[in-house]
Amino acid sequence: MKLLRNFVAVLGLLAIVWATFLLVSYILASTLFPAIEQASQNILASILRVIAGLATFTAWVLIWYTLTKIWLYEVLLRE
Amino acid sequence: MLEALVSFLTVIAVTPLMIRLGRRAGIVGVDVHKSSKPVIPKTGGLALILGSLIALLIHVLLNHDSLSLIFLSTGLIAGFIGFLEDFRGEMNPKLKPTLLLLASIPILVTGSYVPRPVIPFIGRTRLYKIYPILVALAYPVACNAVNSVDVLNGSMIYTSIPFFAMSSIIAYYRGDSFTLTTSLICISILVALIPYNRYPAKIFPGNSGSLFIGGLMASTAILGRIEVAAIIALLPQIMNEMHVIFSIGGIKSAKQVKSRPVEFVDGFLTASKDRDAPITLVRLLSAGARVGERTMAYMMGVLAAFTSILAILTDLFLVEAWV
Repeated sequence: MKLLRNFVAVLGLLAIVWATFLLVSYILASTLFPAIEQASQNILASILRVIAGLATFTAWVLIWYTLTKIWLYEVLLRE
Repeated sequence: MLEALVSFLTVIAVTPLMIRLGRRAGIVGVDVHKSSKPVIPKTGGLALILGSLIALLIHVLLNHDSLSLIFLSTGLIAGFIGFLEDFRGEMNPKLKPTLLLLASIPILVTGSYVPRPVIPFIGRTRLYKIYPILVALAYPVACNAVNSVDVLNGSMIYTSIPFFAMSSIIAYYRGDSFTLTTSLICISILVALIPYNRYPAKIFPGNSGSLFIGGLMASTAILGRIEVAAIIALLPQIMNEMHVIFSIGGIKSAKQVKSRPVEFVDGFLTASKDRDAPITLVRLLSAGARVGERTMAYMMGVLAAFTSILAILTDLFLVEAWV
């Protein structure tokens, strides 16, 4: 039973990671990117878009790792 | 597909020879998850390389398609780096990812990439400056990710087949015959190695095999223009690699890590409770449980199949509109 529980938990974790990736893309596309586009033009807007994208990607990776640690120590390895 | 059939038959035929070659040349490793600790040849990667080499050369001759040579050369560079490690022993853990950057040279030099990947909701991007850097980084990331799941009999193969099944399906509905052919060749060589690498393994793919397959995955993503789908399909492998690096505090040799992620007790794998132990996929799946090696490898394959389905759904509903 524990094996099945672990399998479903990891499956759920991967689904959450996928969903947050899409959510972050959606938020970037509908808020930050249009704002950058309006505030500045050409090269500055391009640079700001790349920086915003990379910063968001880094934050996503860190959230993913934190979530996995919580998953492992607080859910799966908890007696 | 003639090429896929040829690659399948080549791997089936040459793997027994590779087993003998591995034993004779001393390219062997200990199967640590068996009570008897048998010594197994690590030359399965050479069979994979030979199978795809012959198939892609046939493809080039029949179609006069130079892109296949670029595709193959990226994998060969990565595979050669892996072979060096199999032959000479463990490489400096920081040198390996640096050397793997070299696998991107064929694509970067020939300019065989389109720096405009489609990202869901954002649409077609214009990454003219940053895309070549991402191409170079794709190789160490993909190669090490695949390498990191090659820990159990069959696990690298079971987790890699869903990726190429995903790229085949996307290539099929896009009408991309190049990516479809190369993906089917990759599936064929991996399926052909299953009888030899499944539990109990007669041969390991070795670093040459896992880095070769990782290199081909990165090239499939770039040349097939399925970057986002590839990242999603590789989530289990990337998660495994990234969490190991984070949890041990950087890129380190396995010898520098004191605590092991899983323990092997009475023929079963069980997760370590030590907070200093690396966080791996196998540790997550075996937390508080006792799991057989064969079952664990199948479960890893199912996880890879799940993320590959998510990748297809993402591509179909959120990327294709811009392609």
